[in-house]
Amino acid sequence: MNSELRTMQAHWDLHYEHSIGPTASRFFNEIEANKKIMGKKCPSCDRVLLPPRSFCDRCYVETTDWVEIGGQGVIEAFTLVYQAFKGLPDPPYALAYVLLDGADTAMAGFIRGLDLSDHRQALSKINIGRRVKVAFAEERKGSVLDFWFELL
Amino acid sequence: MPRKVAITAVAQTPYSAAHQELSLEELIFQTVNAVLAKAGVGIAAVDSIVISSSDQVDGRAISIMVTSGPVGAYGKDLLNAPSSGEHALALAYLRVASGMFDTSLVVGWNKCSEPDDMSNVQNLTADYIYHRDLGFNDTLALALQAGTYMTRYDVPEEAAAWVVAKNRKNGARNPLAHLRQPVRLEEVKEAPYVAWPLRRSFLPPDSDGVCALLIASEDKVPQLAPQGAAWIRGLGWATDTHWLGDRALDSMNSLALAARNAYRSAGLRRPFEELDVIEIHEPSAYHELMTYEALGLCDPGQARRLVEKEETALGGKLPVNPSGGALSANPYFATGLVRAAEAALQVMGQAGDHQVPGAGLSLASAVCGFAGQGGSVFILSNRPE
Amino acid sequence: MRRVAIVGVGQTKYQSRRDDCSYDELVFEAVNRAFEGVDLTIKDVQAMVFSLAPDSLSGLSNAERCCVGAIGAQDKPFMRVNTGGSTGISAVQVGFYHVASGAFDVVLVAGADRVGESGDAQTILNKMWDPYYERPLPLNAINMLALSAVRYMHKYGMTEEHMALVTVKDRRNAAKNPYAHIRKPATVEEVMASRVISWPIKLFDACPQSSGGCAIILCSEEWVRKVTARPAWIQGVGHHSETYFMGDRMGPKRINDHADAEAKGQAIRKAYRMAGIEDPRREIQVAELYAPFSNTEYHAIDAAGFFPKGESLKLMEKGFFNLDGEIPINPSGGVLCSNPIAVTAMVRVGEAALQVMGSAGERQVPGARKALATGNGGDHQFFGAVIVGSEKN
Repeated sequence: MNSELRTMQAHWDLHYEHSIGPTASRFFNEIEANKKIMGKKCPSCDRVLLPPRSFCDRCYVETTDWVEIGGQGVIEAFTLVYQAFKGLPDPPYALAYVLLDGADTAMAGFIRGLDLSDHRQALSKINIGRRVKVAFAEERKGSVLDFWFELL
Repeated sequence: MPRKVAITAVAQTPYSAAHQELSLEELIFQTVNAVLAKAGVGIAAVDSIVISSSDQVDGRAISIMVTSGPVGAYGKDLLNAPSSGEHALALAYLRVASGMFDTSLVVGWNKCSEPDDMSNVQNLTADYIYHRDLGFNDTLALALQAGTYMTRYDVPEEAAAWVVAKNRKNGARNPLAHLRQPVRLEEVKEAPYVAWPLRRSFLPPDSDGVCALLIASEDKVPQLAPQGAAWIRGLGWATDTHWLGDRALDSMNSLALAARNAYRSAGLRRPFEELDVIEIHEPSAYHELMTYEALGLCDPGQARRLVEKEETALGGKLPVNPSGGALSANPYFATGLVRAAEAALQVMGQAGDHQVPGAGLSLASAVCGFAGQGGSVFILSNRPE
Repeated sequence: MRRVAIVGVGQTKYQSRRDDCSYDELVFEAVNRAFEGVDLTIKDVQAMVFSLAPDSLSGLSNAERCCVGAIGAQDKPFMRVNTGGSTGISAVQVGFYHVASGAFDVVLVAGADRVGESGDAQTILNKMWDPYYERPLPLNAINMLALSAVRYMHKYGMTEEHMALVTVKDRRNAAKNPYAHIRKPATVEEVMASRVISWPIKLFDACPQSSGGCAIILCSEEWVRKVTARPAWIQGVGHHSETYFMGDRMGPKRINDHADAEAKGQAIRKAYRMAGIEDPRREIQVAELYAPFSNTEYHAIDAAGFFPKGESLKLMEKGFFNLDGEIPINPSGGVLCSNPIAVTAMVRVGEAALQVMGSAGERQVPGARKALATGNGGDHQFFGAVIVGSEKN
């Protein structure tokens, strides 16, 4: 009787075409065509939400006005990644949440231009409260990867 | 004794092949707002929420994360029963019946248009040891079951075809249905086989849609549903093993158990006589026939007699699927929940063009898993007892 | 409301892989262990609840369907729960409602995970963010909490050494827990020297990818007496949701800060209210708090409301939360030492129950009468809390 233990390989191959709706569509259209970042305002709590959404989850009402967001802001949180994960970019890289001028919620993005070869060195240059500016890719596809943040 | 619980309001999206104009989150937000509007309350009146969907159809590893905002769960108690939409209703019922909450939203959805291959998604539910490589998906499992049933009882294809024609005719009167054109019996019988004995016409479409219900304890019902509510008089749910080879595929065992439990808790002894209308989740036309038997409306193998006498047509003794059933709209995991929603609309007198006049006691049945592995039954009434 | 008690807890030893069994066999193992020493058989169980978080981690979509046999649910009411990382504690709460509603007297809650087999859990967890705004960025379960750590450092002065203290404590505790995955003690120096994953989280600050199963049996008060002499009564439950958007937990208009775990605190307070607990510092003797990274144990302790926020740092330095301290936190070694995602939060409840049953072996906190268990799910978004006690209340 051969009871040698076996394993089986399996692979998930799933593709989707997600409809992203009018709000997210406008956000990416403006980035792609005009290098503009747009937020959307909740008429109830007055927060300008970035990234923009069709409704405010806190107040549970539809957002109304579009607001053009400034090209600079402040780091609210960051991390420096040194571990490779399958399917994710090669390290090292810096990820941050930035509160851009004119927005009331922070938005995520890469911080580029920071020397990450020694994390202790890098930490002397980046902190919560540090001001950054938005930079755009020359060729944009309508994605959050079309822009990133650079230290000022 | 558990507290009495009722469905007080229902909202559904118009089901369609693809809702491309809105993101999933926006579609859900719209539907939940609609159900709150029907009940005349804001989100603050909701104590708790239970949702259900398939993560793999949604394309998100934990779908409830992004969708918690649209269902109004910010700052609230949210649970997720993603085994199937109807389980979300059962769980919400338990929570309100326990006395812990007075109200609960129940929301289910799926946008079948977003994955490029629903069959591939379904195949991933097959275990990789014995069944996945055989290409198992919902259709193959349903076909094995339907073939076993119609062979054992010598059920003519005409009976299944009649179910399709009936449901599609009903769906044409339901402004929210996905498929709103009736089909001729000849068309149904001539459609090609997808997997024998299932012709394409015997199978539901893949639809996009959201269904939301607001349930409440007896204390809150007068305020939320002054025109009348759908009281949950009984419910039952059960599961079979996943091993298709271990099951008697010529009947729907778990659904029959669920029905027995539901009838017992509702005090129903003669369902065919006592019920006014039934909403059945029919993953194939043959499955509607098998469900008649599982629900005890007739003896095993005798569903064809009900068909011959057209008992379950809209004008018949016991209308089944006045909404058009899954054959007219099938938002996958939410389809079972839609049955409860439609059965509720019937006893609340809100089913519009497909209202069964005078309906006071209804039943909703739902199935999930391959070949109806899991079955659930809800008994709804316009009276609390 | 009807009283409900936990009468049996079963766990398997958590480890990276279980190459000696299939997924459903792992569930079967945990379920059988739950019945040990309890005067019940699987036939007495009237309904089952399956605890399973992202299906993709075990590679089997709707895996609960394949586990009907393993959990003994053939012909019985059966449903599955998924709230991400908090799934296990949500599942226990779902089981609680099955009984508290009066619908059932005996309910089994169980599940398993095989995170170590997914190839790379973080690849999968990246997919939990929405496809358009955040998933294209390499957000995952580790860096989302590194972002929290950085804010907690900024707000309260937490250092990497503080984080290391948590690892040292939890590893020391895990050495006494035969089920724990990582049982090797660590020193502060070793933690500090371990390689950076997502600063400030280093390898030794992070939970492992574990495989394993857990099962819990719940009974109504009428049944409890017949079945066991040492139940763990469920005195309080609570569940609460935070906003999904991490960026909304930052900036001057935030309500809760991503540094903290306020929503966890709200879930805990719901449970305290139900349990009639007014002074948790004095009424809770031990807590199993869901903390997958060392830094997260601090905001979890803060959320429990024993002390003002941020004071947990000083107290950790003083050994207040050690196994022989005043309020032991994570005597089992916690999530930091074992993380079989689908059931991790159930294990918190199970371990808390073992404490008040007096059955926690070498990791027993003497005199434990009331214990708090918590679970976290999503991007620090869903929180469950359960209070168990040796008395019915």
